[in-house]
Amino acid sequence: METDKLAQLRSGDPVLFAELVRDHHRALIALTVPIVGISEAEEVVQNAWLKAYQAIGSFAGKSAIRTWLGSIAINEAKMQLRQRKREWLFSDHSSEDPYTEDSLAQRFTGQGQWQHPPALWHLDSPESLLTGEQLAECLERLLTAMPDNQRCILEMRDASGLSFDEICSELTVSSANARVLLHRARTQLFKLVDHYEETGEC
Amino acid sequence: MLSCRDIVNHADQLLDRDLGISTRVAVRLHLLLCRHCRRYVKQLARLIKAIPFMHNKATEEEVRKVMDCIHSHSNL
Repeated sequence: METDKLAQLRSGDPVLFAELVRDHHRALIALTVPIVGISEAEEVVQNAWLKAYQAIGSFAGKSAIRTWLGSIAINEAKMQLRQRKREWLFSDHSSEDPYTEDSLAQRFTGQGQWQHPPALWHLDSPESLLTGEQLAECLERLLTAMPDNQRCILEMRDASGLSFDEICSELTVSSANARVLLHRARTQLFKLVDHYEETGEC
Repeated sequence: MLSCRDIVNHADQLLDRDLGISTRVAVRLHLLLCRHCRRYVKQLARLIKAIPFMHNKATEEEVRKVMDCIHSHSNL
C-alpha cells in the first residue's frame, strides 16, 4: 500500500476504510467460517472490523493489510468460541503416505511420469486467473466442498498470507501436517483451473 | 533421479524456499530436463499469487452494514 494512502487510513479516513471493507470482507468471512461456522462468521468479522478500525492507527504496514486483518479476525473467532465455551477441534489427520491422496494422483503413470501433463494456461495477471464468472462459481463450489482443515490452511496461508509458524501455532498442528493439508488444497485448485484452461468448462 | 510425481510433491516447498539443499538441487536438475514439470511449477506459482484475489468484493449492502456498526460504536 502506498505511504500516502496508509497515512490517510491510519488517520481513520472512513472512505478509505470502507474501501478496505469492500476488498477484504469476503476473504475474512471465508477465513473464519472453518473456525466458528457459517452462521457466526458474519458477527465475528463484524467485530473484527470494529477492532481493526480502532487499531488502524497502529498498523505499521510491515505485513500486508490482509494478513493484519486476518490475524484480527482469527483472534475474534477464537474469542467467540471461548465466550460460548466451545472448543475448536482442528482435525489434522493425515495418512502414512499423504501425497497419494492428492487430486493429481490420476495424472501420472505407475512410474511417476506425467500421463496427462498440465495444459498451457493463459496467464495475463494474477487477478484475472481466478476471476472468470464461470470459474468463480466452480471455485466457490470447490471451496465449499473442500474439507474444513484443508480450506482453513489455504485461507490462512495463501489467501491471507499468514506465516507457517503462525498457522502451526494457531492450529496446534505440526508443520508437516500443515504442509500436507495445504498441498491437497492447492492441487484441487490446480486441477480445477487446469481443466478450465484446457476445456473452457469446469 | 526424481520422478515428475516427486516434483509435484516438492513444488510447494520449492516455491516457499523451504527445501533442503540436496533435494533442491535434484528438483532443479529435473526441471532443467522436463518441460511438463517446469510448466507445473510456473503455473502453480501463478495460481498461488492469484489466490488472494479469489474472493469477490463485498456488496455495497455488506460494506454499509459494517460501516454502520463502526459508526454506532465510535464518533465516525
